[in-house]
Amino acid sequence: MQQKSTLEQILRGVALACVIFFFMFPIFWILLMSFQTNETILRVPPSMVFEPTLTNYRSLISGTLEGSTATLEIKFMGNLWNSLFLSVTSVTVGLILGVPAAYAFAKLKFRGSEDIAFTLLSFRFAPPLLVLLPLTIYFQQLGLADTYFGLIWVYQLIVLPLILWIVRGYFEDIPSDIEYAYRIAGHGFWTTFRKIALPLAGPGIAAAGLLAFIFAWNNFIFALVLASADKQPVTVGALAFITAAGINYGQIAAGIMLSIAPTFALALYAQRYLVEGLSLGAVKG
Amino acid sequence: MSNPILQLKKIDKFYGPINQGFQAVKDVTFDVAKGDIIALLGSSGCGKTSTLRMIAGFEEVSRGGISLAGREVHMLPPAKRKVAMAFEGYSLYPTVTVRNNIAFALKSSGKSSTAVGKSVEEIAVMLEISEILDRYPSSISGGQQQRASLARALIRDADLYLLDEPMGQLEPQLRTLLRGRIKHYIKERGLTAILVTHDQTEANALADKIAVMEGGELQQYASPEEIKDAPANLFTGTFVGEPPMNVFAAKVTTASDALIFTLQDESDLSFPQAAFGETLRSRILAMGQVMLGVRPYAVRRHASGVQARVVANQWLGDQSHIAAEFAGGALVLVEHDRADVAEGSDIAVHFDPADLHIFDPTTGAAVSHGAKIAS
Amino acid sequence: MSLKLAGITKAFKKEIVLQDVSLDVETGKTLVLFGPSGAGKTVLLRLIAGVIEPDAGTIQIAGRDMEGVEPEDRDVGMAFQNFALFPHMSAEDNIASPLTAQRQSQSEIKSGIQALAKLLKIEHVLGHKPKELSNGQKQRTALARALAGKPGSLLLDDPLRNVDAKLRFEMRLELPRLLKDQNATVIYVTQDYKEAMAFGDQIAVIHEGQVQQIGTPEEIYLTPATTEIARLFGDPVINLMDVAPEARGRMVSVSVSDQPIMLDPGYAEMVGQECVLGVRPEAFRFVEPNSPSAIPVQVETEAPLNEKTVTLVLTAGGREVMVTRPSGTPGPNGGTAHITIDSAATLLFDRASGRLCVPKATIAGEAIA
Repeated sequence: MQQKSTLEQILRGVALACVIFFFMFPIFWILLMSFQTNETILRVPPSMVFEPTLTNYRSLISGTLEGSTATLEIKFMGNLWNSLFLSVTSVTVGLILGVPAAYAFAKLKFRGSEDIAFTLLSFRFAPPLLVLLPLTIYFQQLGLADTYFGLIWVYQLIVLPLILWIVRGYFEDIPSDIEYAYRIAGHGFWTTFRKIALPLAGPGIAAAGLLAFIFAWNNFIFALVLASADKQPVTVGALAFITAAGINYGQIAAGIMLSIAPTFALALYAQRYLVEGLSLGAVKG
Repeated sequence: MSNPILQLKKIDKFYGPINQGFQAVKDVTFDVAKGDIIALLGSSGCGKTSTLRMIAGFEEVSRGGISLAGREVHMLPPAKRKVAMAFEGYSLYPTVTVRNNIAFALKSSGKSSTAVGKSVEEIAVMLEISEILDRYPSSISGGQQQRASLARALIRDADLYLLDEPMGQLEPQLRTLLRGRIKHYIKERGLTAILVTHDQTEANALADKIAVMEGGELQQYASPEEIKDAPANLFTGTFVGEPPMNVFAAKVTTASDALIFTLQDESDLSFPQAAFGETLRSRILAMGQVMLGVRPYAVRRHASGVQARVVANQWLGDQSHIAAEFAGGALVLVEHDRADVAEGSDIAVHFDPADLHIFDPTTGAAVSHGAKIAS
Repeated sequence: MSLKLAGITKAFKKEIVLQDVSLDVETGKTLVLFGPSGAGKTVLLRLIAGVIEPDAGTIQIAGRDMEGVEPEDRDVGMAFQNFALFPHMSAEDNIASPLTAQRQSQSEIKSGIQALAKLLKIEHVLGHKPKELSNGQKQRTALARALAGKPGSLLLDDPLRNVDAKLRFEMRLELPRLLKDQNATVIYVTQDYKEAMAFGDQIAVIHEGQVQQIGTPEEIYLTPATTEIARLFGDPVINLMDVAPEARGRMVSVSVSDQPIMLDPGYAEMVGQECVLGVRPEAFRFVEPNSPSAIPVQVETEAPLNEKTVTLVLTAGGREVMVTRPSGTPGPNGGTAHITIDSAATLLFDRASGRLCVPKATIAGEAIA
């Protein structure tokens, strides 16, 4: 049993390769597309052999799209910046609000706490479009439509339940005795929260923050309805490539590559936290 | 041993590749005679559970062989080995009643249901679980679950009964009584059993022979009396015995007709040379430095003894445990009556040379027990 | 610092965990809370520490009512059964936690920790995180943390439960002295009757949320209030036999296996009642067959137990009796044997209530020796 047979090793390798190929192929293909012109992309049959070009990336970064009939202005870099700003701010706000709330739900059992916690989670179940319709009207009346503030507020619908539920799980996993011990040692409630609860739930908070960032980054529908061109994130901004004159697959591919790059890098960097976060604190040391 | 029912031959267990992975069991060899109860005794991580699991067939033997009732079993799957096992974690089937849990193996062996029912009732009386036979495992206490698990193992017909920490969860008031009954049950039927335990009280109470393990190695394999009277090394000496053996480092010299052990605080214990045999005397004199062991119950208060200061005197109802400062260390003595000594007072303690255990300070191996040279 | 609990009641949901518990511990004394698991001992400690609130009753520490006083302001130290060390801090920082709360200077903290670590023999592991410590080291670290702040009251929740037998024995001898030196009022929770007897100035036996008996170790062992308490103290457990006392002249006797056992005449009012005779295993003795009032028995098994030999025997009536004797003293040679009872060491309980019967005072010299 100790020594795996060669055949077993080969079979494992093949199986792994199949899985990797299946999941990675679309991304790989988009990467290839991003270095091609529309003509080479649309060849039949498709081929992996082509002359790579950087025009797609160049036009995204410069902000001018050379169409066959006219030159189109796009604000892709602006969109990228919007995405970053909206996601980071939403997550920050979400953490500031969500972590103490998660602690309260986990440790200070009060009347109706379970119901309130579930109500907050249920926001995730609501179809976003259903929420959006009345929200748009309110936002317009309140003057919040097409503002960063309004968007960040709405983004809390995505971010807050996520943070709340993941972090709550982590707080619940901290044995109360550990906190009691710190209190009895002579420290007040807030010191104990800061010195014991926060560090011990640290991995969970990090995971929740990362996941919330990715969810916020990938959001499309809220921003589509509530933001105009100069506040749009990349997800919505990419729509600009579908022009009257045709679809610019090359630029879309390049746009996708640029827009997934931050989340991809983040995911690779913090893989362990993400997996832990997704298993809702089930991982214990 | 004329006809051992179980033989472990040079067993090694590696977790990971052989010779590279972690070695949990090192070259363990012992025989078990039919009708004996054997205890594998050691602290956690000593290799006792790995050894038991190899006998049961839940772990592969990395090197060496096991034969049971004349069959080489180490390559057989667990179900073919004819062993019954009671698990530490109870592992009762949660979906059936305690009664059916216990009867399960018997029913599948094809006995008539009235015979099975009778056996279950009998063993339930012995283990005091008659009242909970029709309850489900989740609704009974940990101690009751453990007794049910024991019943399920003991009721089976097997060549060998393996009991993994069989009484760890038992209610303290029941423990001694149930030990007595289980021992009687096993002996009456001539069954062979191996139990794994970290509790030496349990090992001493139940076992005919104890296999003391530490660091994956078998330290001593002998009867409880022999382990008590003649521990093979310092480890066994201090591990088995409650309270543990008192041990002191001593320098050995002679003066006229006395053998003098000088302890760390320069106090002397002097014994007539005649109390030790000629060979032993020259051997320990040649060693110069020894470790001196004496069991707590062998320490006596006697006017002729050496001074010690009492730091604790604890009466436990049927015994008194006294701790005293002695020779720069702590000395523990046990008396069967209530000892009338106040904390802080001085007592004189006396050792009989026949109760002294001498160990080699470097290897830890026993040199002598009283006047008897250790083999 | 004295500690006084009066009428403490606590329920979780509908389940009553503690009912009308009153305790009083003098400054510097140790009270052992003894009882089976689930008896409410741990809850009681938590109430004293202030991490949970009682439903009714008052807690006074040093004469001050603790209602509404936060745990950090109660001047208590606590050691938990599961140690509850802070996993992200080194042993040193764990022990330092009460000292940082008292805003001691770095050098004071350092020297305080060093002294405690030396006493508890954990100097070499101060830099380790809890998960790198053995159970014994964890237990000592937890104890050091509880002691570090020099609290007026110390609450110790079965601190020796999760350590190995050898260390537990060592600590049982060491700890009482350590606690005395602290000069703190100690509440010590345990399920081990030996620890209870070794540590307690007073023992409070708690069962099903109520205090069943409070007394010194002697009182509890020699005059347990109920059969239940008698069963909790002593290993092997006390032998309980159903008997019916009869008058025999001026004496009272019970019959065990057709042999009359003479009891204290003070039991006269129990004559004719249904009773239980409690005989500790060490109160039996093996005797020659022709000795007076020798009870013939069948020897089932013998087993050593901590320097004693326990013999399980069956009387003619099929009653199981456990008999102990010091190891190395002569015993039966298997098969049949005869035992007698030291009648002065017996206890008589009322069968219906399980309560101990106390003999009415007798004229000096008239009691059976």
